[in-house]
Amino acid sequence: MSAAEVIKINKPEDLSFEKCPESAEETEKRLEIEKFIKQDKSQGRLIELRKLAISEFGLVNDELRQILWPQLAGIDSESLERVPNLHELQAHPEYHQVVLDVNRSLKRFPPGIPYDQRIALQDQLTVLILRVIKKYPNLRYYQGYHDVAVTFLLVVGEEVAYAIMEQLSTTHFSECMQETMEATQRRLMFIWPVVNFENSELFQFLRSSSVGTLFALPWYLTWFGHSLNSYKAVVRLYDYFLASPVYSPIFVTASILLHRAEEILKEDCDMASVHCLLSKLPEDLPFEDLLKTSSKLYERYSLTVIEKEVEKLIWQEKKQRQLEDQLILDRRKKVVRSTSSNKGSALRHWLPRFFTPRSMIVTTALSIVVGICAFYYKNQYPGIS
Amino acid sequence: MTGRNPETLMAESEENFDFLFKVVLIGDCGTGKTCIVERFKTGNYVDRHGNTIGVDFSMKTIAVDGKQVKLQIWDTAGQERFRTITQSYYRSANGVIIVYDITKRASFSNLQRWIEEVRRYTASNVPIILIGNKCDLETEREVDFEEVRHVSQFIPEVLFVMETSAKENTNVEDAFFCLAMELKRLHDSSDVTADDDDEAIQLGKSKPLNSCSSSCNLT
Repeated sequence: MSAAEVIKINKPEDLSFEKCPESAEETEKRLEIEKFIKQDKSQGRLIELRKLAISEFGLVNDELRQILWPQLAGIDSESLERVPNLHELQAHPEYHQVVLDVNRSLKRFPPGIPYDQRIALQDQLTVLILRVIKKYPNLRYYQGYHDVAVTFLLVVGEEVAYAIMEQLSTTHFSECMQETMEATQRRLMFIWPVVNFENSELFQFLRSSSVGTLFALPWYLTWFGHSLNSYKAVVRLYDYFLASPVYSPIFVTASILLHRAEEILKEDCDMASVHCLLSKLPEDLPFEDLLKTSSKLYERYSLTVIEKEVEKLIWQEKKQRQLEDQLILDRRKKVVRSTSSNKGSALRHWLPRFFTPRSMIVTTALSIVVGICAFYYKNQYPGIS
Repeated sequence: MTGRNPETLMAESEENFDFLFKVVLIGDCGTGKTCIVERFKTGNYVDRHGNTIGVDFSMKTIAVDGKQVKLQIWDTAGQERFRTITQSYYRSANGVIIVYDITKRASFSNLQRWIEEVRRYTASNVPIILIGNKCDLETEREVDFEEVRHVSQFIPEVLFVMETSAKENTNVEDAFFCLAMELKRLHDSSDVTADDDDEAIQLGKSKPLNSCSSSCNLT
């Protein structure tokens, strides 16, 4: 099977996303890429391709992406696997979760797409995701994974999209697909040292607002696909990430924060306000500039140095939390002492001990069981009450 | 306002409000948490809302007993994988809304796990309200309202149960309003006991079910 045939299967040519007229610079870039495609050299080809994907305007349009994304991801279009049908995958434990998420991913399809075509694509999306997690049982599906998969499905069709998702799931996204999100949470903290090195005032502000990194979680998990409204911006970023090292989204996040520094510093320094501001990406982000900054930041700071800084931060946070817990405890003790003449004080002393996590579970379980029993009992013997 | 509780109230802010409460929405995937928040906040309903990754945040100020009550609403992702992350947002919550789907028995059976989560990760006994969403889908009902009411009588933190429909805008505003009223009332009474939020004292204050029923339509 040749690459051309594979792509023909469901070439998304009639998908009508916003089509902006090509600028003069974009035309120039397109011609450069077309020349590259015609070239018959193999040595240094991938390096050159990566440069094209990273530099301004990326791969320019979806026709070129169809040809070049598989090459960037290192996919051999000659040896693609047979697509199983949906029925073969329905027994998978994550089936319902995937269907639930796919069914509400309307926003990611081109506006005005015919109903039948959308349903067909959604089925393909479900199959594509389940195939990957079926093949790699150690990889866990997360909400947002479908946002990545749908981007590839729309550009390169289901066979190649599967091969790319398989590749990315075992590399870029493998950390996110672990049993818990702890590794991802830790990875997101890599944003802080980079921001601190570049703009310590901004870093101090963000730290004292205790905003955390959750605002960036959907960005990282979906390569911004979940959070950006512009399809053009999403595929442009995918050009960049496919051609860049694994942790590049971290550096793009840092460059967004640095770009918005002035605006952020004007905000109230509290978690809610800052989270609210950060989590909404402005429509007019200058992505070409941000990507340039991101590449520079990646060059400038080694991951080892960043990691050491992150360890320090984690330690400081732990200390801070202990301190806060201690303060709360002290306050409570003070209150108890000030009202110690009350006869309830003995009870106050014992009750917190009673409410250990285990006893909580037991009491909750017990109360719910009793509730259900009482309900059925009442229904069975209505005369008694 | 004098004697503001640092746990619930922000001090001087340029905005005009008397109380600020942090409310966290939890519950299984696809029960309609985001649609409920969207309906409450903007009055709109978006069919097939995208899934939530991590936590979404909204704010709305409502008038309760002539006071401006600002609700900070944290709408969490339902997928279990995100729990370790969203748990840190429970810590300082003043109230919790657990949403189940009346057309999905499993989302009701999971209430027990959600209540455990709240007990384990909130700072003190925060009040909980239960919301059975999608009550417009009567023909697909799998959870009986009376059953939920009965079961919730045995969970002391649960203030009240209410069925809502984000789609048809049934009870959504009432649910938030009643919660806001209860939070304000709890706060007013905690002022009397020297701002103390110790579990032992809170326990004695656990409310009987339907404490809000006099002013709310509970069907």
